[in-house]
Amino acid sequence: GAGAAVPRPGAPRVPVLVPGLEPRREPAGVLRRGPDCAAVGQGRACVPHPQRGHHPAPPTPGQGWACRAVLGEGHQRTVRRVAWSPCGSYLASASFDATTCIWKKQEDGFECVTTLEGHENEVKSVAWAPSGTLLATCSRDKSVWVWEVDEEEEYECVSVLNSHTQDVKHVVWHPNQELLASASYDDTVKLYQEEEDDWVCCATLEGHESTVWSVAFDRSGERLASCSDDKTVRIWRRYKPGNEEGVACSGTDPTWKCVCNLSGYHTRTIYDVAWCHLTGALATACGDDAIRIFEESSASDPQQ
Amino acid sequence: PFQECIKPVKVEKKPGNAAAKIRIEADGSYFQINQDGGAQKLEKAKITLNDCLACSGCITSAESVLITQQSHEELCKVLAWNKTAAPKEQKLVVVSVSPQSRASLAARCKMDVLETAKKLTAFFKSLGKCVHYVFDTTFSRTFSLLESQREFVRRFREQGQGTQALPMLASACPGWICYAEKTHGSFIIPYISTTKSPQQVMGSLVKGHFAEQQHLRPDQIYHVTVMPCYDKKLEASRPDFFNQEYQTRDVDCVITTGEVLKLLEQEGISLSDVAPAPLDTMFSSAAAEELTSHSGGGSGGYLEHIYKHAAKELFGIQVDTIQYKPLKNKDFQEVTLEKDGVVLLQFALAYGFRNIQNLVQKLKRGKSPYHYVEVMACPSGCLNGGGQIKADGESSKDQLQQVERLYEALQTEVPEKNRTVAALYEQWLGGVGSDKALKALHTQYHAVERASTGFNIKW
Repeated sequence: GAGAAVPRPGAPRVPVLVPGLEPRREPAGVLRRGPDCAAVGQGRACVPHPQRGHHPAPPTPGQGWACRAVLGEGHQRTVRRVAWSPCGSYLASASFDATTCIWKKQEDGFECVTTLEGHENEVKSVAWAPSGTLLATCSRDKSVWVWEVDEEEEYECVSVLNSHTQDVKHVVWHPNQELLASASYDDTVKLYQEEEDDWVCCATLEGHESTVWSVAFDRSGERLASCSDDKTVRIWRRYKPGNEEGVACSGTDPTWKCVCNLSGYHTRTIYDVAWCHLTGALATACGDDAIRIFEESSASDPQQ
Repeated sequence: PFQECIKPVKVEKKPGNAAAKIRIEADGSYFQINQDGGAQKLEKAKITLNDCLACSGCITSAESVLITQQSHEELCKVLAWNKTAAPKEQKLVVVSVSPQSRASLAARCKMDVLETAKKLTAFFKSLGKCVHYVFDTTFSRTFSLLESQREFVRRFREQGQGTQALPMLASACPGWICYAEKTHGSFIIPYISTTKSPQQVMGSLVKGHFAEQQHLRPDQIYHVTVMPCYDKKLEASRPDFFNQEYQTRDVDCVITTGEVLKLLEQEGISLSDVAPAPLDTMFSSAAAEELTSHSGGGSGGYLEHIYKHAAKELFGIQVDTIQYKPLKNKDFQEVTLEKDGVVLLQFALAYGFRNIQNLVQKLKRGKSPYHYVEVMACPSGCLNGGGQIKADGESSKDQLQQVERLYEALQTEVPEKNRTVAALYEQWLGGVGSDKALKALHTQYHAVERASTGFNIKW
């Protein structure tokens, strides 16, 4: 339940639950399929929730959302993830058909400019780096691929990373560096960066006891939140060599250490976590039908 | 099979109503009761290991099952069984060692390759006291190189006749082949060379010609190979390399270089302390005191050999040294033959999946300028294979350089000059390009159908 927890001296910092958000039993809402609705993915007939007695009024001009395009020909199976490029002109779609399509915005819709192939099976996620010239994809084939796009919109594979030992669920880029994070069924989070002419895994975050479904960096990129099937959210902090806190590092590489384990708040698998770059709040998506919001209490020790 | 298996099982369906009753007997067998009351015993759903491997429909452990079926532990079991078996049941054990594995062991044990070869021979022969011969796959590689050369020239000359495709892509790497069959299937298969890898040529040799010479049936020989990677285990278990007539594989067991080290540790032996034994020269290039290699790098030298041969055969140009031009990374290099400003041949090396991917992409878009590409799955090639011995203390980069140094220290031989190989073409295969040669030295590939898991979506 909701309530503020007073941090005990020396105990890991415990963020507070924002009161008012009790776990709800009914689903919060349903995707409604209207006449020109774009459901990107398997079209499923949507059933109006029995407890809702009415349909929302159609959007009045100038308000609400209008479906501009249905991109139905790009993939042969479930579309699992979509991501806008930083410049907003491109959309990447990752599919269970093992491909990733890159769509370019035109005046009258979107055109598929290229299809990234190579994964052996379902692509689970795709993400653009903040620079806009790099893209990462990950798959059930246990690999993470890094792609580079040049001025002529040609995409080339820059690296195939086989560090994970199981299905890779999600890839997320650092907010301002070319550092990539991946979450996997092998219970770990891995970090990658460029080294000489290839990309390498530069850190493995171990601690979760089950599948890690998602990760999110904070605004500074010095911290990372991961959420898991083990019903915990863990916060990890990066320590550079020669750090004041005396955290050991090997050579010139920073070390990531788990500084917080949010345990006991979720009763089912946590599928997603989002870290607000404006307010610093963490939101989680959980299999127990609830969304939880966490905030850091100002009284806590930043190193925990 | 795993519950999530989606492999279709062929079932004879009787026309009629779909609904049927199923009765479970006391012994656990299932009977389908038809409309007319008749009972049909239902077969247990079975799936062959190879079918399982070829599909990627579920999180299968088949590959790991297969890989444990071929291991140093398995080898020890077989040798132990062999020792106590009745003379009629006993098998002749042959071990074929790859030059890459040998170089890796040499680096670890701090010896040169000749010494390593002799000591390995002694070690294997002492193992279970029933290993009879130890060969070197450099010998069978001679066939692979010669066949690849001829195949390329033929394809180049037949260009535009619709049948053969260029670029020709190397076929010796099973990591590449399995990936190509699974991910690019019927698009890429026509480009791949049909020449067998040195491992499989040795398999044909040992279970074919050698068996005959020894007056043995192919299934009376147990053929072990020592390889720098695990994918060679998958290669050995391909149905194409299974001898139906005698129900035996051309290569029975593949062990990696690392597994040889485990074997040594298990026996409490340090290779450098082993007294050397003379090399088995039956299938070898030179005398007992010499080892030879092939030029062109640690992955077999396919590009170099095909390039030099093609330059001579097609354009009458003699090439002595090859200039490699590295492109975006060290695992992607180009070689160009030019005359009077015209590009005659353009070849490339593409190692590692990122480069393989880019190559295939260019091919799909019709933008590939190459005539031949030496494709290998491992960055830096076979000397850096997944089954090689890992660095101990020193950096992996230094270790690799050491292995390369040892590998390249040997004299190289031009395949055409090998007299034993030339003789075998006549005696064993009935001539170059004969049907027997085609069967023994070439293979085919099979596109893997992409599984569609309708029922179980794993998010």
